[in-house]
This record gives sequence, C-alpha cells and structure tokens, in this order.
Amino acid sequence: MKGYLKPLILILVFLAILIPFASEAPDGLERVVETFGIEEHEPLWNGLMPDYTLPAISNSYASTFLAGVFGTFLVLAMSYIMGIAITKKEAKPHE
Amino acid sequence: MHISDGLLSPLICGLMYAVSAAFLVWSWKKAKATYSRSLTPILAVSSAFVFAAQMINFPIPYGTSGHLVGGTFLAVVLGPYAAILSMTIVLLIQALFFADGGIFAFGANVFNMAIIGGLSFFLIKILTKNFTKKNWLLPSIFAASWLSVVLGALACALQIGFSPAFSEVGGIAVTVPAMLFWHVIIGVGEAAITTTVVSQLGRIQPTVLNGLALVRRAQNEGLP
Repeated sequence: MKGYLKPLILILVFLAILIPFASEAPDGLERVVETFGIEEHEPLWNGLMPDYTLPAISNSYASTFLAGVFGTFLVLAMSYIMGIAITKKEAKPHE
Repeated sequence: MHISDGLLSPLICGLMYAVSAAFLVWSWKKAKATYSRSLTPILAVSSAFVFAAQMINFPIPYGTSGHLVGGTFLAVVLGPYAAILSMTIVLLIQALFFADGGIFAFGANVFNMAIIGGLSFFLIKILTKNFTKKNWLLPSIFAASWLSVVLGALACALQIGFSPAFSEVGGIAVTVPAMLFWHVIIGVGEAAITTTVVSQLGRIQPTVLNGLALVRRAQNEGLP
C-alpha cells in the first residue's frame, strides 16, 4: 500500500491545482458538432456525476475536485483488480 | 474526443463494439502471457493519472480545447496490451459515472482512444528500431502520441460521418477535415505533455517505464 501513497497524493495535488485553470471551451469533437449545428439528444444515461460535478455541491471547484477524487479512486481500484487478473504471480526464488 | 450517444447509427455502434471486443480479447490474452504481478501497482497508478489528466482541458486557438488522451503515455509505461485494457477501464468509468462518452458509443470510443492509443506502441518500436540513437526515443514518442490523436480523430470522423446525424450536412466530406483540423493542433498538446511526462519519469523513476523495457527487450532478442 505504501507504494501507492506518494503517486496518489501527487495526482490529487495535480488535480487540485489545475482544475481552476482547465479550459471550459468545447473540445475538438464538441466543436465540430456545434459547427454543423447537430442537435445533441438528451442522453439516455446522465451518469451519477454529469460533466464531472457532484450535483449536491454548489461550489463548482469543490464539486469538480471531489468528482475527480472519486473517479481517480474508482479507476485505481478497477485497474488494480484487472492488474491482478492479467498478471502472473512471480515464482518465489529458492534460497 | 468522447462520442456521446445520438451521434452514431446503431450499425456503427454495433460494428465498433465488435471490433473493439476482438482487440480487447487479443490484448487480454497477450497480457496474460506478458506481464508479471509487479506491474499491478504501476498499472493502477498510471490509469488513475490518465483519468485525472483527462479532466484538465487545455485551451487551443479559436475557442476550442483539448485534453490529454494518454494512450501513448500508457503504452510507454505499460506496453501495448495493458495500455489498451487500462484505457478501456478509464473510458468505462467515464461513461458509467460521468456520462463522458455514450454507452452505445462505448465501442467506438474504446477503438478511437484505447486501441489506437495502445497500438501507437508499435510505431515507437518501429521508429526506435530504425533510428537507434538514444536521443531518438523522445522524438519517437512525440510522433507516436501526436499520430495517436490524429488517427483517433480520423476514426471518429469516419464513424460520425457515416452516421445519419451528420449525413445532412455532408457526411465524411465535412467531418474528416473538421476533425483533423482541430486534432492536428490538439495532438501537439498531447505530444508535448506525453513527451514531458515520460522524460521526467525516465529521469526520476526509470523502473516504471515497462513498455519501453518491452521495446528494448524485443530489440535485443530480436522478438516480434
């Protein structure tokens, strides 16, 4: 567990510092969709945290940061489980 | 570059699910034959980093933005197979919890970002094989990460262009140039971030660059 602490703190500090500077402008694909006036349908599934915000929290920085923390840990946990599944246990060397 | 639901026809959605599923099965099998348990922490942490980095959009000219996809970054750290699988997890969490990328479009998004990103590993491998000087490594990573975004955008342009939502405005004749225009620029951001992060990691903690170790080992042993 110790090995995870330092990189995780770095990732969360990285998020905490950069979230206020993240661009609100549409990304490449969203821009193309807007340019040609394509109507976006109301999505079937809005997710629990649409647009990386927690609907219950009104402060937008805190809301986005907490959504980011939540997502980071979810990805960490799921990819850890997958990591166990796709890797082989090393053979113990005889001493 | 995450495609939301409603932009793709059911046929394209189904087709991309099938293509991506085939690549995921291939990656899973290859991964099981390639990796040892010591990869797990690096896999988990690097996937978490990619998720966080994707939240930070950087501005590009003309009121548009882009963000790191991170496929080539993961390919350098994890090698192609684990990169494809862990990017798929990032995309899955984004689609399920954040509604970033549609559920029906998930197969297409996996192809455009996870599979193309992970396969960019082989471009680095080819480039570093032909230009063996050590200082060719970072330019190769720069080229591979730029190309992974541009090719992903091209795939995305074809998928949306062949779908009915865009057929009235001109289909692929308009989606391809428009997507390429933006992602040629966004790709430079991707390449700059990937190259910087990899070179810093190589300086501070070179042992985590497992993908590169795979490249080198393959070169030394002449493996495919």
